[in-house]
Amino acid sequence: MTLTRHLLTFCGFCILLIMNACAPVQPWERGNLAKPQMALDPYPLQSALRAHNYGSREAAAGGNAAQGGGCGCY
Amino acid sequence: MNKSSQQKQTILRLTTAALILPGLLPVVTHAAEDDSVDFQYSHYQEGERQNVEIAAPTKWVSTSGSQTWAKVPVPNHNPIEVDSLHGSARVTLTDRVKFAFNYIQDTWSGATPYGSTPAQSGAIYHNGYSNPASYDDKGKPILSGASAFAAYGFSLLQLNKQGQSVHFLNPEEYNPPILFKDRIVHVMGYASPETRQQGDFKLSYQWDEAALDVGGGISVENDYESRFVNIGGRMDFNQKQTTMDLGLSYTHSDINAELDPLGDNYFTWTGQHNDQINFDPATGLTTLSGTRQDWGVRLGLTQIVNKDAIGKLGMSYTRSNGFLENPYKLSWIYDKGSSDPYLKDTFGIDTYYGRGFIEQRPNERNLFQWSTGWVQYIEPLEAALHFDYSFAHDDWGINAHTFEGDWVQPLGSGWTITPRIRYYSQSAADFYGAYFFGGGTAFDYNSPLPDDPSIKTFNPPDNFSSDQRLSGYGALSGGVTVEKQFAKGVSLQAGFEYYTHQGGLKMGGGGEGNFADYDYWVANAALKVNLGFIGLSNLDGNHNHANHLYHANIPAGVWFGHTLDKSGDMMIGYRYQRNWLANGFRYGDSKASTEQIIANGCPELSDGCLMLPREMTTNMHMLDIMYAPTDWLTLMLMPQFMDMSMPSYHPDADTSGGSHHMGDAIAHDFPTGGVGDTGIYALINLFDRPNHHLHLGVGVTAPTGDIAIRQKSSSPGKADEGYVHYGMQLGSGTWDLKPSLTYIGKTGDWSWGAQVTGTKRLESHNSSGYALGDAFETSLWGGYDWTSWLSSTVRIAYNWQGAVKGRYPKWRVDRAKKYDCPKVNFTTYSKFDENGYPIDNGVFDAGAWQACLDSKNHDPTLDLARDDRTSPMDYTSNYGGNYVDIGLGISATVPSGAFAGNRLAFEWLQPVYTNVNGYQLNRDGALSFTWSYGF
Repeated sequence: MTLTRHLLTFCGFCILLIMNACAPVQPWERGNLAKPQMALDPYPLQSALRAHNYGSREAAAGGNAAQGGGCGCY
Repeated sequence: MNKSSQQKQTILRLTTAALILPGLLPVVTHAAEDDSVDFQYSHYQEGERQNVEIAAPTKWVSTSGSQTWAKVPVPNHNPIEVDSLHGSARVTLTDRVKFAFNYIQDTWSGATPYGSTPAQSGAIYHNGYSNPASYDDKGKPILSGASAFAAYGFSLLQLNKQGQSVHFLNPEEYNPPILFKDRIVHVMGYASPETRQQGDFKLSYQWDEAALDVGGGISVENDYESRFVNIGGRMDFNQKQTTMDLGLSYTHSDINAELDPLGDNYFTWTGQHNDQINFDPATGLTTLSGTRQDWGVRLGLTQIVNKDAIGKLGMSYTRSNGFLENPYKLSWIYDKGSSDPYLKDTFGIDTYYGRGFIEQRPNERNLFQWSTGWVQYIEPLEAALHFDYSFAHDDWGINAHTFEGDWVQPLGSGWTITPRIRYYSQSAADFYGAYFFGGGTAFDYNSPLPDDPSIKTFNPPDNFSSDQRLSGYGALSGGVTVEKQFAKGVSLQAGFEYYTHQGGLKMGGGGEGNFADYDYWVANAALKVNLGFIGLSNLDGNHNHANHLYHANIPAGVWFGHTLDKSGDMMIGYRYQRNWLANGFRYGDSKASTEQIIANGCPELSDGCLMLPREMTTNMHMLDIMYAPTDWLTLMLMPQFMDMSMPSYHPDADTSGGSHHMGDAIAHDFPTGGVGDTGIYALINLFDRPNHHLHLGVGVTAPTGDIAIRQKSSSPGKADEGYVHYGMQLGSGTWDLKPSLTYIGKTGDWSWGAQVTGTKRLESHNSSGYALGDAFETSLWGGYDWTSWLSSTVRIAYNWQGAVKGRYPKWRVDRAKKYDCPKVNFTTYSKFDENGYPIDNGVFDAGAWQACLDSKNHDPTLDLARDDRTSPMDYTSNYGGNYVDIGLGISATVPSGAFAGNRLAFEWLQPVYTNVNGYQLNRDGALSFTWSYGF
């Protein structure tokens, strides 16, 4: 079943990532990671807006009710 | 930014970053960011849907003696547009406790699809295809009232032997008839202006390597109310190289959708929705009620992979149950009827009858999502590449893939540019269809159609939806964000994105046909003020404005009250004003009874006013952005966001106290909202001594507010009716000059001031044909400082406003030009081509044409109410007046600490004298609030 397959792939990827983590990155080596452009979401205000726009037009967003986004009934 | 604060930012960003995995729950975002206040405005604009073309006879006959035909596009204008305003604040309450608050307001209006059907089925409104209402200058047909909007009555479909929908023209005249292969089109509906407001908060507690957040909020629309709560936790491991987060959310929504009052003429619903739909005879409204609940859980993992890369993984599950339909979406369902014997025998064409049904989805949905992302630092360019992929699967049969890539490129001097691209593809839900066939009883072609098409006749499928959101399609979007970071902790961002939804872009093919394709663009601008950063710079002892003369004790309702100190200073402010009009009517300076206003308030209506406003509320949100390029000059930019509502009623229904047939003028409340006019001002210091200060303001407002907002039509097949009341438009539509002169004095704890301001419209009328009246205001105030941080003010204000000049265009003149007196009827041509079309310029009889226009313009039988509007607010003479108000204000300035220099002020304006032009709603008072921060 595709669902199980996706789940397994996901878990496999998880494990890979965590194993990779064994090579430690010391706090003083994190200069690049700390730059604003490396923030996981550099523009949270815009991301919220875009998520709302996608959420009310695409089925995969789970219905924006979960974000409290209201109906978007148009 | 210095080194230590950069490191602080680093850790904050990393911890925050760990929490902002894409997906369902926005549980933990922002929790660890610096204290800040942010504002964002955005405009969403959908492109026009595909035009429908209909064949219609021209004015001409060809040389061979046969009627000529032209393909005429059916207009499909006014697509959806949305204006959004977002304000948020994040503050540190104690070392470990943070609080974040968001306020979002969206206003939208425009045409949007109800459903879809073959074009010639009659589900869309094109009454004139065989009989054009008029012709253009060259004799090409104009179809009166033809539109892509839903039409009354049954739809009719003719399928050939291959099952294709076909259409024939005039079988009586043509033997054999001309057969067209039909195509599917959207049936459009019109969403009247509506506003959504959302407020939410998050409280978080942070340990060294963990955090806990609780949040909640509410989103309110006329027809949809959601309340939500969420809780989220975060744990850091392995020297913060690994972060896990878990979130849970619950949303409860109540739906109370007002169905189109005339909707029973073109749609119905299945038995499943029967007990959710109620008709209220008192208001004439039919409402569909339902509730839904959404539970969500997500798990996320963020991992520092090496010194240049971060990886992330997430999975989430959402379970939704209850009323999951979009109550405004319809599906057209067709059943086989007995066929026209001629068509059946000659061409094998079967006839089907159809009707729109409110869509029906399963009452439960389980949605799973898996996401993964990677952020890579690109050393040579100092850029960052962000890549995200997610897969979603639900038990409605939808599988969706999302790919997104962003390239964040710093350019130096605080500039950053971020291009982005995104691709989304989904398969269709099992129960999606452009239109459906039921299994009901056949109609008899020769007998009249049943008046009440009961559900037994149609027998629709268990679940069905024609909502394009559930169809198979792909969407490609791309955009760019530009950011400029200023030294003082202020950053400006602007973004643009273009999005195209196409059946043909679906991954692997097989998407919906191109009738459903559409596109949109979004532009946004944001201002971010980092309070933590500013607070720090203030602690360095640079400046403290709290006790400065110009900042003390200016009532919140006074604009242009102070200038900045010295060259290089900046100030950011937010200004809010709310105005209430209520408590009956006035005529001049005395009270007017309902009977008086009905009789006299609408001078052009012989039977008096048909609609009366109950009250009116206006909200204005403004940003004050001030900058002093030199010591004596302060420049100001004031963008505005407005929203207004004016519930109105039928005075007839009010007095008869209950059920009353209201025709098409049902009590309504169409709010309006969006960007208002934008002010640009210069304040010049004229006189500046320790105790006395005088400054002159000159400036203009640019007409950025919409002045062409119309009401939803109450007739079938039309996009919109007349314009909303003059007072409900969002701007003036004209460039306006706004001079001001302000004096401020202060000695000890006492302060005082005086101001005169004026508004002069620089144009005689705007593009909607009118100009608001000029205005003049003068204020006198005194204030007292109770403590170093708290003070109060008393103010007296006199205000004069002129009446509205000009008026909205007359509908009858427009109509006459187009339909009653087309120019082609007054033009004589002498040369024609073989199709009958004129090839010379013709001789135009301008006098006869003008006479025709004049006769129609004064023809009282032509739909009076469209021109001579029904409410006193539609008459320009009922605008303007003289007013005196007393204002009581209080203001507080944070004297020290991280928020030093923040100033909050409130003022209540109480009307004491009102003398209005004509008949107007009484004034109930106004509230002003300002927040400002100088640095």
